[in-house]
Amino acid sequence: MRPILLSGHERSLNQIKFNRDGDLIFSVAKDKIVCAWWSANGERLGTYNGHQGAIWTVDVSPNTQILATGSADNTVRLWNVKTGECIKVWDFPTAVKRVEFTPDGSRLLAVTEKRMGFLGTIAVLDINYGENLTEQAEEPSLRITCTESKATVAGWSYMGKYIIAGHEDGSVSQYDGKTGEQLENVQAHEFDHQINDIQFSPDRTYFITASKDKSAKLMSTRNLAILKTYVADTPLNSATITPKKDYVILGGGQAAMDVTTTSARQGKFEARFYHKVFEDEIGRVRGHFGPLNTVHIHPAGTAYASGGEDGYVRVHHFDKPYFDFMYEVEREQLRK
Amino acid sequence: MSKLGNRADWADDEEFDDPSALPPQQITTNKDGTKTIVSYRFNDEGKKVKVTRRIKTTVVREHVNPQVAERRSWAKFGLEKGNAPGPSFDTTSVGENIAFRPSVNWKVQAAEAEKNGGEKGSMKDQLKDKKVKCRICSGEHFTARCPFKDTMAPVDEPSAGGEGSAEDSPAAGALGAGTSSYVPPHLRKGAAGGGERMAGKYEKDDLATLRVTNVSELAEEGELRDLFERFGRVTRVFLARDRETQRAKGFAFISFADRDDAARACDKMDGFGYRHLILRVEFAKRAT
Repeated sequence: MRPILLSGHERSLNQIKFNRDGDLIFSVAKDKIVCAWWSANGERLGTYNGHQGAIWTVDVSPNTQILATGSADNTVRLWNVKTGECIKVWDFPTAVKRVEFTPDGSRLLAVTEKRMGFLGTIAVLDINYGENLTEQAEEPSLRITCTESKATVAGWSYMGKYIIAGHEDGSVSQYDGKTGEQLENVQAHEFDHQINDIQFSPDRTYFITASKDKSAKLMSTRNLAILKTYVADTPLNSATITPKKDYVILGGGQAAMDVTTTSARQGKFEARFYHKVFEDEIGRVRGHFGPLNTVHIHPAGTAYASGGEDGYVRVHHFDKPYFDFMYEVEREQLRK
Repeated sequence: MSKLGNRADWADDEEFDDPSALPPQQITTNKDGTKTIVSYRFNDEGKKVKVTRRIKTTVVREHVNPQVAERRSWAKFGLEKGNAPGPSFDTTSVGENIAFRPSVNWKVQAAEAEKNGGEKGSMKDQLKDKKVKCRICSGEHFTARCPFKDTMAPVDEPSAGGEGSAEDSPAAGALGAGTSSYVPPHLRKGAAGGGERMAGKYEKDDLATLRVTNVSELAEEGELRDLFERFGRVTRVFLARDRETQRAKGFAFISFADRDDAARACDKMDGFGYRHLILRVEFAKRAT
């Protein structure tokens, strides 16, 4: 497979998202612009300009009408995907580390940083898709304050029923999506090893976490049971579950501050593929010159994109061997 | 009336031999369904460049949902505003091919592939079975060492044809080959005899070069230069070194600007003690 290299950013990537149809890719980096790309050929559709600081997170509504971004300039912005205009700015007291739409797109959560005397919070904003997209609610409809350990990442469960959050201390908690009440809290990863990413399966009944403790875990959304554990040899920044084939892709590498002291070979700057069920590592894809900060899979499972500390987005369209690979037991099952 | 109005003035039909005008684009359809497009443009130096492109068109039908199809018609915005459709070179490029085959024992396979790659890389192993072959008599020795070097012409060269051409064009001969570009020794015509032919040009230089042997391992080029500079201007000092250890191999070449200086140096320096060894200095034999 020949990766497409997208070099629209000048600094390290923070998050990449495919839209639900998989024809567009949105990428954000520490430079202040958001890029939209066609996933098929890597052509840049446009950029969304307006943020004043590093952009930590991006998400696109399920109907690809609205794009949400969270930035170090303490704002969440909504953009018109088609025209590139900023349609709404919400100010927060601290930086916004993660935004995510509910599966139906009606609500948006924003995870804010704990800093300057403010506790980390998860705010829920109602999104209005009317004639005029600029008419949005001013105040969040729900605010969850994380008193114990700040939330670093969060996402919505199936039907927006729960909010699942990963914390700085390595725990994963489950909140009620309507009331914000904490229902469950599990120390999924080693204590004090931050959770860097949470990504859901297509039906959102389970999710994968990626942590600094060099492991990724597959967990059930309903009761936060740990279903599978994938052990890597490097801190992980991102993990994604592939549809169509039962794999997971993990991205990580030496922490950015140690990169200059390690060579590209030792740095382990590769995307790692594990079998979702058997927990075996089945291959790696190299190419980045720095740690992988984010990986995201095409919703149809035909391609994936990875963004690294090196400022490049690499879009890989899988070819035949990827789809053909099967364990012996899987083959036998198929024969029956 | 409208027809007349559309037609350009007859005076404009005249074709001028304008040097800045480019010939029109030509599109021809080939038998195999491909198209050949010949177009002309000016390059950065203002020269006219002919560009021939062969294009094969394949129609790929793809069914996408209406929303996706609608999005395809979106105009570019932001930094890309106004740019032509199609990926631009400064943001999008295609990386090198990655062979990705998921496998349970991928680690073993990767290690093996690397090992094989490493073996291929070593020149020594590649040339393990290669035999030395003389171009003159096809014997198992270097051409330069051939006993028939002076008496026989190379096997694949009929006779003294090359000799004449070299004399016809002294400038080309000076470069060591028939043309202006570099030709590696094994491709040169009559590689063995090359030295003699070029002698006219290089004679002076060769005659002012001394070969110094029994040089200490610890010798330095600078020191040798200082030693020989006393006799006249030294144009070149070459100290043979071991590639691995960087130690001197025990011999050196010193080139003088003037042959008389070289002769004096040869006289005086032969038998000179340098770093506990006695130097042996003689005129270098002309390279063959």
